[in-house]
Parts: sequence; structure tokens; C-alpha cells
Amino acid sequence: MSIVGVDIGGTFTDLVGYRDGAIITSKTSTVPADPTEGIAAALTLAGCDLAAMDELIHGSTIAINTVLESKGAKTALLTTQGMRDVYGVGRGNRPDAFNLFFHRPRPLVPRDLTFEIAERMNAAGEALVPLDPAEIAKLAPKLAAIGIEAVAVCFLHSYANPAHEVLAGAVLRRELPGLFVTLSHEILREFREYERTSTTVLNAFVGPRVSRYLSRLEGFAQNARFGGQIAIMRSNGGTMSAGEARRAPVAMMESGPVAGMIGAGRIAQLLGIERAIGFDMGGTTAKTSLITGGIPPIEEGYVIGDAFTGQPMQLPVVDIVEVGAGGGSIAWCDDRGGLHVGPISAGADPGPACYGRSGVEPTVTDADLMLGRLNDARFLGGHMRLDCARAEAALGKIGQKLGLDRMTAALGVATIVDSAMSLAVRAVSVKRGIDPRETTLIAFGGAGPLHAVSIAREISIPRVVVPKLPGAFSALGMLMAEWRQDFVRTLIGELGKVGMQAAATAFAELRDAGQAALARDRLAAGEFNFAADLRYRGQEHTIPIAVANPQDLATATDETRARFDAQHDRRYGHAAPDQSIEIVNLRLVVIVPRLEDTIGRWLAQPWQPDGDGAAAEQHRAVVFEDGKRPVETRILWRPHLPAGSEMAGPALIEEANSTTLIGPGDRATIDAYGNIVITLKDV
Amino acid sequence: MKNIDPITVEVVRNAVNAYADEMATALCKSAYNMMIYEVRDFCCGLVDGEGRMISQNQGGLPIFLADLGVAVKDGIARYGLDGFAPGDVVIMNHGQVCGQHLNNIVIYAPCFHDGKVVAFAASRAHWVDVGGMRVGFGSVETTEIYQEGIQFRSLKIYEAGKRNETLWQIINDNVRFPEAALGDLRAQIACCQLGIRRFGELLRRYGRDTVEQCIHAVWEATEREARAFVAKIPDGLYEAESFLDNDGRTLDVKLRIKVKVMIDGDRMVIDFSHMNDQAPGPTNSGYSGGLAAARVAFKCLTQPHAPVNEGCFRPLELILPEGKIINAKAPAALGLWSIPLPTVIDTILKALAPVLPAQIPAAHKGDMGGCSISGYRPDGRRFLLMNIFGGGWGGRPHEDGESASVSICQGDVHSAPIELQEIQYPFLIERFALRTDSGGAGRYRGGLGVDMTYRALQRCVANVNCERTKDPPWGLGGGQPGAVNDATLIRGDGSERKLKKATGVVMQAGDRLTFSTAGGGGWGDPKSRERQSVADDVRAGYVSAAAARRDYGYDAAFEPTTE
Repeated sequence: MSIVGVDIGGTFTDLVGYRDGAIITSKTSTVPADPTEGIAAALTLAGCDLAAMDELIHGSTIAINTVLESKGAKTALLTTQGMRDVYGVGRGNRPDAFNLFFHRPRPLVPRDLTFEIAERMNAAGEALVPLDPAEIAKLAPKLAAIGIEAVAVCFLHSYANPAHEVLAGAVLRRELPGLFVTLSHEILREFREYERTSTTVLNAFVGPRVSRYLSRLEGFAQNARFGGQIAIMRSNGGTMSAGEARRAPVAMMESGPVAGMIGAGRIAQLLGIERAIGFDMGGTTAKTSLITGGIPPIEEGYVIGDAFTGQPMQLPVVDIVEVGAGGGSIAWCDDRGGLHVGPISAGADPGPACYGRSGVEPTVTDADLMLGRLNDARFLGGHMRLDCARAEAALGKIGQKLGLDRMTAALGVATIVDSAMSLAVRAVSVKRGIDPRETTLIAFGGAGPLHAVSIAREISIPRVVVPKLPGAFSALGMLMAEWRQDFVRTLIGELGKVGMQAAATAFAELRDAGQAALARDRLAAGEFNFAADLRYRGQEHTIPIAVANPQDLATATDETRARFDAQHDRRYGHAAPDQSIEIVNLRLVVIVPRLEDTIGRWLAQPWQPDGDGAAAEQHRAVVFEDGKRPVETRILWRPHLPAGSEMAGPALIEEANSTTLIGPGDRATIDAYGNIVITLKDV
Repeated sequence: MKNIDPITVEVVRNAVNAYADEMATALCKSAYNMMIYEVRDFCCGLVDGEGRMISQNQGGLPIFLADLGVAVKDGIARYGLDGFAPGDVVIMNHGQVCGQHLNNIVIYAPCFHDGKVVAFAASRAHWVDVGGMRVGFGSVETTEIYQEGIQFRSLKIYEAGKRNETLWQIINDNVRFPEAALGDLRAQIACCQLGIRRFGELLRRYGRDTVEQCIHAVWEATEREARAFVAKIPDGLYEAESFLDNDGRTLDVKLRIKVKVMIDGDRMVIDFSHMNDQAPGPTNSGYSGGLAAARVAFKCLTQPHAPVNEGCFRPLELILPEGKIINAKAPAALGLWSIPLPTVIDTILKALAPVLPAQIPAAHKGDMGGCSISGYRPDGRRFLLMNIFGGGWGGRPHEDGESASVSICQGDVHSAPIELQEIQYPFLIERFALRTDSGGAGRYRGGLGVDMTYRALQRCVANVNCERTKDPPWGLGGGQPGAVNDATLIRGDGSERKLKKATGVVMQAGDRLTFSTAGGGGWGDPKSRERQSVADDVRAGYVSAAAARRDYGYDAAFEPTTE
């Protein structure tokens, strides 16, 4: 089985593949205008012929960036009569409780593009007011006239009976064939109209742009005579087909970041690290996640954007904290003479000043280069020559505004970006009551290993691990992801009293949905895992409890009950075995496991240095704490270092697509698997 | 005092806040009533051996800022610190001491370290029912606390880990929804046990002295920051006045809310001496009502983003004589204790608006916006629907006010989903819509209120508690007031009746009840509003064409088209 993973970030396109028992890898600049050009370049650079591969796994920030940059489609929303403002108003809450100038989430569909339709279901799924298809047909030309590209349809209680949504969708698709239509029950069959509407709107808003993107990707693969499967990373840590991604692009919101955290989880398992903090620094953003017992946390429900004003999304997503700080982040000066870094990134185009394209603004990468921390000749494995003079000029310019020499300005930029990123690391550790001194930072992403030690020092994390292939680690993580799809269907009833027929119907509907998804992706079989969301009668929040069949809910419920009581007690410290239990939702997770864990094996195999001797040890002046006193520093070539090597900082360990910085006084070793393990001084 | 390293201070500061949030999550997720899990009418946190606040969860009810410590101090006075044993759990809702309606039940438990009580983990949560004259809460008919339910004054519901079965039975027999009440009680106890466990781990890791030094260092830093803000306000005496509709019993007598704020260097003194005297009806609170209002206003101005601890309020002093509507003497009725508070807070802010012009918005909707409707299901079980509605917030010195948001007393309180309400209760919600023209006109428009219409599918009984139906949310800087709060009952035969405060209103199947919430006041002269913004408002339907002409002097026919 030959597989290749491609992760397209804002700045770089990373590729990792497994072919004929060996790992291949490359890193190229992202081509924002046509990302497939970046993929083509990465494939060429890695010497990878797509025609010879069985599977292409792809992660992309396209969906989330479409939301964050408000570049989505002109979208209309169809709601039940009387419910026009459900989406705009939300739940009325103000989590920013003492802020007199709080803001609420800003709807992606304005009020004048929200249309009320005469139709009504009740909670039992009975039609109180039938939908008249003529009303939808009459609306269609109006939508076309105002240039609507996507429509979200969310009717009350459609989770219980989607018939009206199905009918409205059919009319829209018939009348306006080019329109991107999302029906809420296709994304989420769960009650809570606001959260379901928001999720549906997100899907419609990003749909057309993601569809065009995927078509281009498929066209490219076809031209390259690729005959295998294209798989897209989804936010729940699994993969889906391109067809599914086109239908439900909202599921790929955190497509890129999740894969790196899967990889970091495997490293934590391998090294027996109970609490690890995954730290991924790319060109545009830095992302962190607290990984406990090797498992990246998956949350039900998420907010795209700022926690107070972002867009709610009721789907499973890996729990990641992200800040707008990366190698491409631009340094700038405010009116009062304050220095800031980010969140604007120079991205791939124009890129940092030192890339020698049209970029003239100073970035973090320019500062790293000036400080001697980056090697101008070895960047991207030597495929991109960095221009020191342009970096110096850019930093000189901002230094002038601040009344600082350019070296001090460069040091300031590095310090500020480290402190911004340490906030994200803090958010997943200290802020949750986790003592950072009991954690290990697992650093990756092109710029991660260069900045990890200084962030770790800032919040007292004693140990940093830099895995193999840190510069393409997210792409590597993708190769370990399994095909996965989550389904949910609201099923209200009492445990033991819910009708056998109702329970069997819910099971059958979910099973059919799962089998249909497998069939759409031409997969023969998968693992079906059902769970029921249960609670004590009167409670609201539920706990998912594994169940196997309708009997577990309807007739033979003793074991289900015992499992729920035990889980409730374990989570909340109390249980009520004498109280009745309510069923709220039935869930299904379908997984198609990878046939072989090739990447897991590769990570765990004994490290073999590549002793071709081509690159001898070098020395360079590197600035650490004092711009006036650079320190003569050892520059090591990572592929040469055998397991068991020990190094004292200051040192830089370079490799094709990343550089690891070891501060003065810190110590590093190469462990048996080839990971760099850095122990910080005095932490 | 030995020098503590800043990293440990940081860890302890964040840890105690994280524990309070973790307690809140545990309570919320295992609670049995929607006032806790949806409405989030609760708070929890850690209190030290002297009743001082170490930490409190974020996102709970702002008016619970004040006084978990007050409840705990009553228990300390009763038992002495030596009178607690590991495994004790105390229940407390006494009207005189806590000053709130009796539904707010405080549960707390001691945290031991080396055999001594070092702190308490505490939680307050709104129980669905505590007995009394009417289902749930919100009756306007009470005149004495004894009519409002059962009181517990610092009683041990667990003694050294053993449940007090007598007390448990008394609760079971005196509330209308014992399954929910006892479920919430269990959830509150577990939440406190979690707090004790977490804080105990922290003490074992760092030692009691270090942890306490860190806590004091955090309090002092918080206090310095708050004082620094107050010091920037020009010294002087500032005052403002507003009016509430009535006390719920004598409907045509308004209640005066008069506030004086004195700034003296880095101290702020809030003087409530000229407030209305306590009322015969239930819109009274104890001292903690006045304290909560003052603290919410103070926190919004000084440290809106920082977690709450004992240091936050050290620069704040109160003058609050007994016998006032927000410091009522026993046995005053307290059933609607929170109703005056949004207006009291807005009035404090209004007093300071002339000296803090960039920091204070026009008035917001000014009431708590709740409904409670009860009845019996066909199988004989009782039900109680409760919900909270948002309204308009005032225009700001630089932007429009937000629409349809919960009051200043209700931070992260969520309205209940329509689908959830229809799944659980015999109603159809026919309409949920922003109220056109409810936002006060201004250069920066006030936010809009909402209309929500319930159609009853069977017989039921509603309690309605609309406040500020007479004096609208005021504008600032030349802005106009917003629309007032309102509720309308429409019978199946089409006849209409306005309801303001009414208890025990019988609804039959087919009757409709519409709640209409107030809009925020406008900020600045409406004539100076950007024409494009007026046009956008008209297009979206926030402002009618008629109101645009009347209030903004805008006539679409004479404006260049913007589409």
C-alpha cells in the first residue's frame, strides 16, 4: 500500500508519503491562487509519481479560512414561519459577562437574506402545516435574481422528521441546478435549532468555494493518472472521501491541525508521556492541544473564530487553541511606539522579506535569519536561498521607527512572538490547572522546533521533544488517520420503555446512513459503534453509553443502566440507580481501520543515522539574549546524529525542513527512535 | 514572609480559577433543572476559613458575585472552625442572612489539610421549587418570607460523611419537585467534593503556607489594579435616579431608585441612603442585593475581564441603611429579589456617565426577562416551564447596542432552545422575532428587544413578572429611550389583555402569551446617525420607514439608493 499525505497551510505545502517501505517527504511554498500547483511541486520535489500511489490524503485550511476571512458564498437561509430571527439572535447569552461593550456572534447570513417558509412540524415529527412546494418554486427565481450562491435550510424539528427539508431541497435543486444547497438534517439530526442552523449555514457558506477547490484537486489527480482514493482530513481526526467533503465541507474545518495532534499523540504513547502539549508552529498560526494518555481531545461542539463572537458548530472537533503567530507573521509598530507581531501573515505570497519575492515587511522568519538562527543556504533543504540583506533592510526599517538598531529589533520580534505563542500553550495547561512543570512539549511545524525551547522556558515546561520530520509532521499524521464518520439521530424516550419499534427504526436509519456513506466511498465494510446519549430524567446534559442493538434500549436494559450509573459516578461523583433514565440521541461512529500501521511502525523503529558525511559540523554566530554579543554556536546536521548522541547548548540542529534550537545551558539527546529530547536548564 | 516565585503564584492563581470552573461544569452537567443547566442560575467557588473569596467560576450569574462568603460565615459562626469534620456538608438559604429568594440554595463543605479546616468549597444554585404559595417562584402575592418556602439556616445535611435522613426527608416532603431538588442537591454536593479534592491536591503539592501566600499576593495585585482604575476617575459626588414600576402588589405606586457615587482618590463609595424603603410586596432583597448591584457595576467598570476574587472589591465601600428595598428587614418577602437589580446597576452607571463618557452605554432592557408556566401532564405529573429572554442593550459611545441579550445581571445565561421547550412541555412557540422599532433612536442605536409567543396546548397557569413597563431604558447624550417591556395574553376567542406582573394566570388550550422585551436606549443625536446605517436598518427591518422619517429625518425616497 503506497500512500501520500499533503497538508496545505497558509505558507507551506507539506508532503509525506510511504512507498516501497520507505518514507518520502518534501516541503514547498503554498500557491494561494492554485494550491494544486503547490501539490504538483511537492510531488515532483519528493520524486513521487501520483499514478503509482493507492491513496492521497489531504488536509487543508480552505474551509476555516473561508469563514475567518469572510470569503464565503452569498448565502440565503430558509427557516420555519415565525423563526426568522432564531439564527441572528442565538441564545441571548453574554459569556463576556462584565463587559459593557460585549459583542455577540455575527451571523454569516444577514436578516434580509433570511426567508420564512410556511411549514411546521411538532416535536413528534407530525406536520402541523404542510410545506407547499410552490412556495419554494416561487422563491427560487428571487434567490437567483439577487445572486444567491448557496442556501441553508433549517426547519424546526427536522431532526424528528426531515420531510419538509427534503421537499424544499428537491425543489431548490430542481429549479436552480447550480445552487449549493445544505439541509440541516443532512449535517446534523439533533435538536437545538440555533446550533443546528449555525452549523448548516457554515456548511452552505463554505460549500461553493470548497467544492471548486476539490474539483480542481480531483482534476489535477486525474491528469496525473492517479487511480486511487482521495481522502480528506476531517476535524474529528478521521478521513472522508472528496465526495463527502463536497457535501459536508463543514466537517473539514480543523482539517489541517488535527493530523499533527494525532501524530503528537503517537509520539506521547511511544515515549510513555502521560501529559504532553502538542505545539505546531507553521507560517501563519501556532496551535496547541493538551494530549492526555496519547489521545488528542475531541469535543462535541466548537466555535469557529473568537470564543465570544465566533460561529457555533455542533460537530466533533479536536480541541485546539490557536493564535495568529507563525514564521510569516508580520511585525508592525503602533502609534505609541509599541512593537507587535501578527496576526497578519505574509503567507507564501509575498512571503517574508528574505524570500526575495515582493515582501518588504519584516516577519518572524526575517528576525530568525538575522539572529543567525536560520541557515540561509539550507532553508527548505537548500531549495530556497534566503536573502539576508533584504531581511536586514526590513528589520532596519522598523527598528528606525522604534529607535532601535536592527539586531535589537529582530530580538524584540522573536521575544514578542514567543510570548504570544506561550499564551496558547498556557491556555491548554496552566489555565486548566495543569502544572506545566509536569508536562512535555512536543514541537513540530516548520518553525516549531526553532521557537519551542524559548516558549517552554517562558512557562516552565522542563522538556521538549522534537519528533522526526517535524517540518511535515501534520502530513505524516494524516497517514495514520482512519476513515471515520459520525452520525447522530435524536431519539427521545425512557430507557426500558422506549418502543422496540422506535429504537429499531433509529438503529436501522443510522445503520443505513452509515452503509450509504461507505457505499458512496466504495468501501466494503467498516466497524459500526453505536452509543446512546443518556441522562437521568430531569437532567439536560447526557453521557454517551455504548450500546449494541435496540434491545439494549428497549427490553434488556440492565447492563446499559449499570454502565450509565457507573459513568455518571465516575464523571460527576454521584449516581442515582433508583431513578429513571432518559434517552436523547442515538449515535453511530463508523470507522474503516487502516490495513497496516506503517507509520506507527516507522516512528517506533530504531533510529539509523544517515552517515553519508556530506555535511560537516559548522559554526555560526547566533544571537540569544544580547543583540550585541552573538554566541559562537555549533551547527549540527540531524540526519548524521546517532541514537544516544548528547549535546550541550547553545547548538542548532538543522535538517531539511526545520531547525531545532537548543539554548545555552540546555541539553539535548537523540533517543533510540531518533527524536530530539531537550532538557531545559533550571526549569 | 519568604519570597514566592512568580511561576508558583501564576500556577496557584490559574489553578484555583480552573477548579471553580471545573466545579461549575460538573454541576451544570449533572443538574436536574434548567435554571441550572440552561439558564446557569448558579455559582460556585472556593472560600477561605474566614469566608473570603479565593475564586469563583466564570460565566455564572454576575449578581452572585457578592456573597458565597456570607453564607459560609454564618456556618463558621454557628459551629466554629473546630466544629466541622471531614465529610460535613452544609445547606443554607436563610432569607435574613442570604438576602435572596429561598430558591437559591447554598451547599458547602469544608476542605481539610493536616487535620484543620483551611477552606470551603461552595455552590449556590436555583432550585425549581422550595415550597411556598406558588409553583416555582415569582409570585407577587407574598408579603412575608414564611409564605415563600422552607428555610434552612446552616444545617448539616451530612455529618462526617453520614447523611442526615431526617433533614433529607423534610426536603423531600416540602418541595413540589423532590426528584429534581434532591438531584440538584446531589449535584451540588458532588461539585463541592470536587472542589475540596482539587484544592487539597494543590495544598499537598505546594504546602499550605505557599498556597495562602500566593492567594494573598493575587488578591493584592487585583486590588492594586482596581484602585488604579478608580484613581483615574475625577474626584466628586455623582448621582442619578430612576423608577421601577411597583412592588408587585400596589401596581400604581412606583419605587424610587436613587444612587449617589462618591469618588475619593482610589476609593469608590456607593450611597444607597435615598433608595425607596422596603416594600410590602416581594421585590425586596437583603443586604446582599445592594451589595451585588454595587459590585456588578464596579466590576464592569474596573476589571471586566479578570476572574473574581476577594481583592476585586476592596476599593468599594457601601452606605446601605437597613429597611431599604435592597436591604430589607426580616420577615420581608424576597420572592422577586433580583427584579430591581438591573435598574439599580444601570442607575449607578448613569451617575458616572458624565465623568466616564467613553465607558458607559445608554440603559439596557432593565428587567430579568423570565417566564414560568406550570400545569399537570395527562399522566398526572406536574410540569414547570421556565425561560429567560434577552432584550436590547443601550447604544454605545462608538457603536450600536447589541440586540436580544440577557440582562446585566445574567452573564452567560442562555435562553432555552425552542425545540427543547416543545419536546418537554405542551406548548407551540409560534414566533420568535426581533421587535422592529424597539431600539432607542440615536447616533448609535439601542439594540432591539424580542417577541416570543407561546401557544398553550392544554390548561396551564402562568406567572408573569414584567418590570420597567412604564419608564423605558433611557438614552444618553441626546439619544432616545427604547421601547418598554410588555406581555400580552390573547385568548382563543381573540380577546387581548396586557399583563405586567400577574400570578396564577390560567391559560386554556389555544390561548397565546406573548412576551415582548424592551429595547436599549440610543446614544447621541439620531439626526447625526450615518445615513447608510439608517438605510441598512430599514432594509433589514430593524427600523420601519415611518420611524426612520420620524426619528432620524430619513426618507428613502429622497436618499440616493444604496443597493
